[in-house]
Amino acid sequence: MSTPPIVLDVQGISISFGGLKAVQNFSLKLPRGRLYGLIGPNGAGKTTVFNLLTGVYQADSGTITLDGVKLNGLKPHQIAAAGLSRTFQNIRLFGELSVLDNVRLACHLRGKHSIWSTILRSAYHMGQEAAIHRRSLDLLGILGLDSRAGEQARNLPYGDQRRLEIARALATDPKVLLLDEPAAGMNPQEKKSLRDLIRQIMRQFDVTILLIEHDMGVVMDICERITVLDYGVTIAEDVPKEIQKNPKVIEAYLGEAAPAAH
Amino acid sequence: MPTLIEQARSNKPAAASILPRAIWPLLVGLAIGALMFYVIGPGMGDYPSKIVLIAGINIILAVSLTVVNGFTGQFSMGHAGFMAVGGYVAATITYYGSMKLFGSADPAGGVLSFTGGADKPTALARWGDALFIGSCLMGGVGAAIAGYIVGLPSLRLRGDYLAIVTLGFGEIVRVLLQGTHEQIQPWRVEDALAKPVYELAISLGGPKGFQLLPTYTTLFWVYLFVVVTLIICYRVKNSSTGRAFLSIREDEIAAQAMGVDITKYKVRAFVLAAFFAGVAGGLYAMDIGAINAGDLGFLKSFDIIIMVVLGGMGSISGAALAAIILTILPELLRNPPPVWPVGLVLIALIAGVSSYRKRFRWKPIIVIAIASTLLEVGRQIALSKGINVADFRLILYALLLITMMLVRPQGIFGIHEIWEILPGYARREAARNGARGGSQGGKP
Amino acid sequence: MTQFLQTLFDGVTVGCLYALIALGYTMVYGILKFINFAHSDVFALGVWMSITIAGWIGIGAAGEPVPPWYMGVLVMLLAMGVCGAVGFTVERIAYRPLRGAPRINVLITAIGVSLFLQNFGQLRWIFGAYPKAFPTLLGDQTLFSLAGVNFRLSDAAVIGTAVALMAALQYLIFRTKMGAAMRAVSFSPRNASLMGINVDLVISFTFVVGTMLAAAAGFLYGVKYGGQAKQTADSMWVMLGLKAFVAAVVGGIGNVRGAVLGGLLIGLIEWFGVAYLGSQYRDAYVFAILILVLLFRPAGVLGKATIEKV
Ligand SMILES: Nc1ncnc2c1ncn2[C@@H]1O[C@H](COP(=O)(O)OP(=O)(O)O)[C@@H](O)[C@H]1O
Ligand SMILES: [Mg+2]
Repeated sequence: MSTPPIVLDVQGISISFGGLKAVQNFSLKLPRGRLYGLIGPNGAGKTTVFNLLTGVYQADSGTITLDGVKLNGLKPHQIAAAGLSRTFQNIRLFGELSVLDNVRLACHLRGKHSIWSTILRSAYHMGQEAAIHRRSLDLLGILGLDSRAGEQARNLPYGDQRRLEIARALATDPKVLLLDEPAAGMNPQEKKSLRDLIRQIMRQFDVTILLIEHDMGVVMDICERITVLDYGVTIAEDVPKEIQKNPKVIEAYLGEAAPAAH
Repeated sequence: MPTLIEQARSNKPAAASILPRAIWPLLVGLAIGALMFYVIGPGMGDYPSKIVLIAGINIILAVSLTVVNGFTGQFSMGHAGFMAVGGYVAATITYYGSMKLFGSADPAGGVLSFTGGADKPTALARWGDALFIGSCLMGGVGAAIAGYIVGLPSLRLRGDYLAIVTLGFGEIVRVLLQGTHEQIQPWRVEDALAKPVYELAISLGGPKGFQLLPTYTTLFWVYLFVVVTLIICYRVKNSSTGRAFLSIREDEIAAQAMGVDITKYKVRAFVLAAFFAGVAGGLYAMDIGAINAGDLGFLKSFDIIIMVVLGGMGSISGAALAAIILTILPELLRNPPPVWPVGLVLIALIAGVSSYRKRFRWKPIIVIAIASTLLEVGRQIALSKGINVADFRLILYALLLITMMLVRPQGIFGIHEIWEILPGYARREAARNGARGGSQGGKP
Repeated sequence: MTQFLQTLFDGVTVGCLYALIALGYTMVYGILKFINFAHSDVFALGVWMSITIAGWIGIGAAGEPVPPWYMGVLVMLLAMGVCGAVGFTVERIAYRPLRGAPRINVLITAIGVSLFLQNFGQLRWIFGAYPKAFPTLLGDQTLFSLAGVNFRLSDAAVIGTAVALMAALQYLIFRTKMGAAMRAVSFSPRNASLMGINVDLVISFTFVVGTMLAAAAGFLYGVKYGGQAKQTADSMWVMLGLKAFVAAVVGGIGNVRGAVLGGLLIGLIEWFGVAYLGSQYRDAYVFAILILVLLFRPAGVLGKATIEKV
């Protein structure tokens, strides 16, 4: 079985805040079309890894390469344009805007927007607005949010907000999608459908996913390989079965629910 | 899957529909301008139509500031500075241009606005208002360049710092303009003709202000620009660019993660807003026949900010409405009318709308009832003691701002347009979105 | 040489005033993370309260003998008290309900408060809408001359009082329990309240201290420059306040020592600009400095850059 080409290649990135070494020497090779997991106790540095990848923070050292493009030093919007998109653990929707507009905004990245054609409503502009509109409604349909398109994003229930975050991230047409605890706050029913949804998204959009998740049921079920962080250090990297048996991982989770005990 | 750009190309509407869409705002502007100039203005008499004209200029200022302070969520306190830049540029071109082209600083003919010129000696002199309107547009361009220069470095700053920097910018503009040379008086045309252009460009009257400008501004020009400004800002709001503006205001980090180049869009917002403020400055200068940077300090910026805050941070129609109200208010305060009827109408409106939307709300009704009672009591006291209420205007504004932030921080209309909160809008909108692949996002 | 020394000296004196005002901006910013736009009006209020109180006591009118120095101190303390009370009230009514609201809303409220103070002060029952002479509360004698630079009693009063107040503030913040509470709240209001600190009380206290310092600066301003004080809505006060704000930013906003350093820097830059480059652009120098600092060292000279947590 030959592995597909590596799409996201992270080599030894680190960052510290004052004295706190939040992430140390983190590496990851993510092959195209795969779904990998990133787990670890609270405060382990998982979200910080996402922030480093997406350019919210600048790494003190190490390199990040997406499909041959070096991401170090790029601004977040350039990284999004290169094909890396994400959701936020503490939901960051555009609350005052409608559900539809949240997705339409994200479609913006792949279009061309001159101020003149906007003011004059040129043919290209009209065609693009129509295309954005249709594409956004399609995405909302896939995530089961089309009936709420006109509502203000902040009025959605929690689970819907998480799915809207995914819809919005997909609208940027990413190569790699970073999901930060998408199941947090969902009930078991929603979690189950989220699993199916993630699988469907991977097939339909040909996207590679890196998933942070606390719910071990979800992680062990859908991830092909898992990286475990503890205090910013990678303590294990393996297939789910091995991770469940790994004594270091079990120790790291001691006091929390052990990963195997789902 | 086809890329968005390919989809956009294949989705282009028929070519025949494009030109009308591009120019109808201009035609509507011309029609409304003509209506204001020929029918409404003369029907109202001199003084009221002067107020209506000032209201129009204020609408342009407030609506353009909405692009920065409302849509984009940046806080500019230097809008009057852009107005000053545009006003001085426009005044310079019109004033010295008139001398050079027509040999006099008096208003020449108005061919473009059909306001005569047949009596003028030369064909050229009939084109006075073309010079004027061209110079107003140049004023807009000058202000836009200033907007770019201020915007580029300072937009890396967070909201409240930006506020201070723009305030400082406005003050620097004022200081620089007040440091210019004496203007060349209208009766010394030969001097103006003899001097090179760059020397004219720094002879702007200094602390005394730039005076004796030809007065070209009419209701026609003002309302033409009002309509064009309103429609352009509305089109921007309902486009990808507008959504990018709004996303910055909502959450800069999420906006960046979704690929919005926030610096670029902040600068765009600044440039767009500055352009209209510059045009408004030109209209203002050639209405009064004088412009003085000393009058366009931060107090003027505050006036505009109050309109935006009151109308709704991001509502075009709300800002326009607030501009009208706040222009008329001082006139009303000279001889205040009873407050209670207004309060009752407002209460009825809110009760009607909110019960129609099945979310009846007591709080605003109580607030309005109390406020109008207090105002009425104040009015009675003022009447009985012979106090001029207009003196309290700024105190009232201040209290209005503070109360607004406590009670309804998003302004009266928030980011919504007035018609969007009317009954039935949400339903129609949902129906439109439901029609998959319907013709288009915004209105044509 | 004389001009250089004179400029240096003037710059330091004015810098002390800027520093006193900047302290108010910086303390409030440190704790509430917002620019108290109305702070410059408190400064103007300090000037006008000093005039009014001196009038009530009946000292310092033109042509009368100069009152003893402790009467001046009394006027200053009373003005500080009144302004402190105003600061307390403003915080209670206008700012406290907006805890946790977006910055822009708080800023707009502050603009509202500023407009209110300016125009309320101009009512004829309060201070009136016309300039008024500042009373003579201190003799104008020259204490000594050095290389042609005169060191006047008023300069000594300004520098002496400013240094004393700054020392007192330093003691308050770094040596007292209240100061520790202030620092805790500034670090994290939530953690501070979990530790049992009464955050509302600390914020009120900070506001009162900040406004009292501005009032003292107002008094000193009057003593130093005398002459006619402009009416409260004059843009001159806002300009002065803004320069002090720039001082706070240049030093590193939220940093008490930075405010003092920034005040002195801004005073010197302004005076050297005026002396060597020309006076008509005096306001432009300060804002040019602000823009430069924000571009190249946004956290200020003594400030520490922080990364927003996502
Ligand atoms: N901007 C920041 N400044 C200071 N500390 C930070 C910042 N961002 C993250 N941290 C710290 O880094 C550590 C890792 O946080 P995070 O990545 O959010 O953990 P998690 O694995 O739960 O997602 C935590 O101790 C957090 O407090
Ligand atoms: Mg996390």
